[in-house]
This record gives sequence, structure tokens and C-alpha cells, in this order.
Amino acid sequence: MSKLSVNICGVSFKNPVIAASGTFGFGREYNELYDISSVGGVSTKGLTLESRPGNPVPRIAEGKSVILNAVGLQNPGVEEFVKNDLDWLKGKTTVIANVAGRTLEDYENICARLDGLVDMMELNISCPNVRAGGMALGIKPQNVEEVTRLCKGALKKTPLIVKLSPNVESIATNAQAAQRGGADCISLINTLTGMVVDIERRRPIIANNTGGVSGAGIMPIALRMVYEAAHAVNIPVIGMGGITCGNDAIAFMMAGACAVQVGTSNFTDSYSIPRIVREMDEWLDRHGIKDVNEIVNTLQLN
Amino acid sequence: MKELLATVKENRELAKDIRAITLTLPEPVGKIKGGQFANLSAGDKSFPLKRPLGICEVNNNDITLCYQLKGEGTRSISSAEAGDKLSVLLPLGNGFDLGGAHNIAVVGGGVGIFPLAAVISEYAGKKNFFSYIGFRGAEYACLTERFERGGKLIVATDDGSIGFHGNAVQAFLADYEEGKFDLIISCGPPVMLRALKSALKERKINTKCFVSLEERMGCGIGACLVCACKKTDGHNARVCKDGPVFDITEVEL
Repeated sequence: MSKLSVNICGVSFKNPVIAASGTFGFGREYNELYDISSVGGVSTKGLTLESRPGNPVPRIAEGKSVILNAVGLQNPGVEEFVKNDLDWLKGKTTVIANVAGRTLEDYENICARLDGLVDMMELNISCPNVRAGGMALGIKPQNVEEVTRLCKGALKKTPLIVKLSPNVESIATNAQAAQRGGADCISLINTLTGMVVDIERRRPIIANNTGGVSGAGIMPIALRMVYEAAHAVNIPVIGMGGITCGNDAIAFMMAGACAVQVGTSNFTDSYSIPRIVREMDEWLDRHGIKDVNEIVNTLQLN
Repeated sequence: MKELLATVKENRELAKDIRAITLTLPEPVGKIKGGQFANLSAGDKSFPLKRPLGICEVNNNDITLCYQLKGEGTRSISSAEAGDKLSVLLPLGNGFDLGGAHNIAVVGGGVGIFPLAAVISEYAGKKNFFSYIGFRGAEYACLTERFERGGKLIVATDDGSIGFHGNAVQAFLADYEEGKFDLIISCGPPVMLRALKSALKERKINTKCFVSLEERMGCGIGACLVCACKKTDGHNARVCKDGPVFDITEVEL
């Protein structure tokens, strides 16, 4: 049994495997399958100031080794989360509040509302934003820096993670923009934008036409981006994108991530996270490594 | 509710493009209600999503799921042979609650008949079922003996090749008499459920009616909010967790 706990910006996680936003709700449903106190942390379903109804259905489709989703941030609103779920979830594991907004002010306000209440904040800057002319704030480096700086200003106690979109010109530039804006940590990658078509109906399967691509098929892209981002900044990096087993998680940590998030794999195997933690532990044992932190950023290029 | 590695016992064709897979579960999963479903792995990691399939029959630790060959995922499931292992998450959803109803109309179309067949098996001999089951044509007809065991059965086919010429809703309406039923349960394609809802409204039939909905799903347990349906009160419900069975007056179809 190796030491699996990690510390990110002063926040401790019992192991480095965190449930990714949008796949795990607020943890209650998975807790009916297994005790989610075994999960390193939970990044909540994306929260907004007001409740959101989300997109029309279908909201999901499948490609080879990937899925696409366009849920459209359906959530009960931050107040309902605080009232009904936050204390329960904090009693189980480390809580990262994933937040989004339509305007920069929305981001600022939701950060101020949750400051000191959650262990970490994670900004979802991949959603279309009014101020950015409907374009996601996460695309242009100057927008990434601006939203990060505003949110950081609203947070006096809780460390800030900026979740980076992969649909950008340079992931390293955007990672640096987040760091300049005052991010305490970055996480990546959010989903890639894609489309799946029903050729009989000559229509995309997802009602929204396009959706965010995730799952095992995107892992090589995610791993490359995590490596590039981790080597462009000196703040901690949380890696994600297609992780389905312990070996995948270890590859992300070697590439520079100090923890990982697991999302789509929960749909394929409901017990993915505890299994991945176990598989990481076994790998570390086999290699005589006493502390998982020892493998972070140990990748050697050819 | 558990996710288990089940052993395929049998995987056979029931009718054209309709198949039944029987799985032996390695351990009990508790009571399974008619109308609940299972999320079955397609048996190949290139399909990350499990397929939500109606549980059609329960026999101790053997469960039978029925499915239509529709895409690559169901084709992959159809290639599973006796002895193969498939991951299955079950039982999911709420199932039908028949309450104190005794004379029950069962209106089913296409693959929607499978969860209804499970209800018939659960209550056979204890309730009177009047089943109106629709298929596209004779070659798609299956499980008719099961519905016959529940009471009276009228088969309807779109092409009139057997039974009533028309759909299941039309067959139900043709046989409807006031006071005959104290509950209606239904499952079928959205167009059928919409026709049922508008017919009940037009004919001022106030009998309680439960419908089971189908939607593309992610997790199957209510966490991912992919399988939303609109309720008439304006809120969203999760088909997988709050349903799949809803009061027909409470959901927009």
C-alpha cells in the first residue's frame, strides 16, 4: 500500500482520482452503488447562479471509444446545491465546485457565493458567453486571463482551478493566461467539440447538433495537452481526458498532472474510480514506489 | 442496484430483428419490479455506453432482456454467446406500481412490449390484464403467449397481417368501454404515447394511466442528467431515475 494522498494548493485529497464534473452529479447517485468516501474528490455538476433547464434531448451520442454530450448545464442553481447537497458531500470527500456563467459578473458572483464553503473552485469557461459575443470565454487567452482575474478577486479563501478548453490555438498559451490571471491550479482537458450523424435521417444525433467529445478515444490528445500545459506553467495541473484504468492515470501524472479526473469511464464501469485507485496502488507497489507524488512529472522525452 | 459481471445463458431471436438475451447474475440484486430496466454493456470497450434494455423476465438469478437490432451496439450484444460475460447494471428506474388496480389495460407497441411483459409475469393470476399489443407486421410479433397468460390479448399490426388492422392505441380504443379498466399502463414509441395521450384527452377518459418512456442515457442512475424529459409543471425529470414510468398527465410527450 503506497501513500496515495495528494495536496493541491493546500487542499488535501485522500487519493489523486477525482470524479469529473457532469458525470457524477453531486455524488448521491453513485453513493447508492459504493461509498463515495473512497473517491479522492468530486468536481460537482456545473453550477450556475440560477437553475438551468439544459438542452433538448437527445443530449448524448456515441462514437468509437468516445461519447458526445450536450447537456447544456442543466442544474438546480447554486443555492439549491448549498442547501441540499454541499454539507452531505463535504462529509464524504473533498469538494470542488464546478461553476459557469453567462456573463463575467455571473462568474464573479458565483465565486463570491461559494468562497470558503467548498474546498476548491473550478471554472468552466467552455460554455458560450454573452460578453464574448456567444463565444466561449475559454478560447482567447486574453478572455481566459480576464475571467480568471475577476474570479480570483472574488475568492478570499478558496483556491481557484481554471478548467481549460482544448478547442484552442495553443493550450500552453491559455495555460499561461490562466496563471497570469491568478489561477492557483489548472485542469484539462474539457471536451473536444464534435458531431455524430444518423445517415438514415441525415441529421446529427444530438439535438444541439454538436457535443463535447470525451472517453477513451481522446486520451492521447488529452495527454499531449496536459504535458504541454504542465510544462508551460508552474502552478499544479489536474489532468483528464479518457482515463479508464490505473495505467492511464499514472501516464497523466508522469506527464505532469498532480491529480486526475475521471468522467466518461463512470458510465462504462460504475465502479471506475475505486477500481482506478486500486490499480494505481497495485502499479506503485509492483514498482516499489512508496508515494504516488514521486511519479509526478517524471516523463522523459525521447 | 449493482453492477455485475453476468454470464450469458442464451441469446436468441424472438422475431425479425428482435432478440432476447438471458443472463445469469453471480449474486442476487434484490427485488426487480416490472417496468424496471438494466444497463447492459455491449461487450466491447469501443462502446463506452451501456444499452438501457427493458427487463422482460426474472427467474431467480436469471434475467432476460429483450432488444431490437438497431445499431452497432445492439449488433455487438447479439453476437454474445452462452458462457460469455457481460457487465450489467440493475435494477434501474422505478417500474410500474399497479396499486390496488385490478382490471388493467396494457397498451404496448414495438420494443415497448418487453417491460409490459414483465409486469404481466409479476402479477399473472392476481390481476386481469387486457393487452393491446402492436407490431409492424406478423414477422415482428413475439411474446404473445405471455400476454395471453395475463388475461385477454388483442394483437394489432400496422399492415393487418394478423389481428386488428391498426396500431395498439386504436385497438385499445376500439375495445374501450367506460368502467372496464381501473388502470392503463403503456410503453411504446413516442408517436404511440402521444396518440394515447391525446385520445385519452379527446375521449375524456380519466382512468389513471402510467407510461414508460425511452431516452438516450448516460449513467443510468440519475447522475449525468442526459435523459431529461419535460414535466407538465415545467420542471425536468430524469427518465432513468425518476422514471421511466410516469403518470401520462405529468409528462410532455
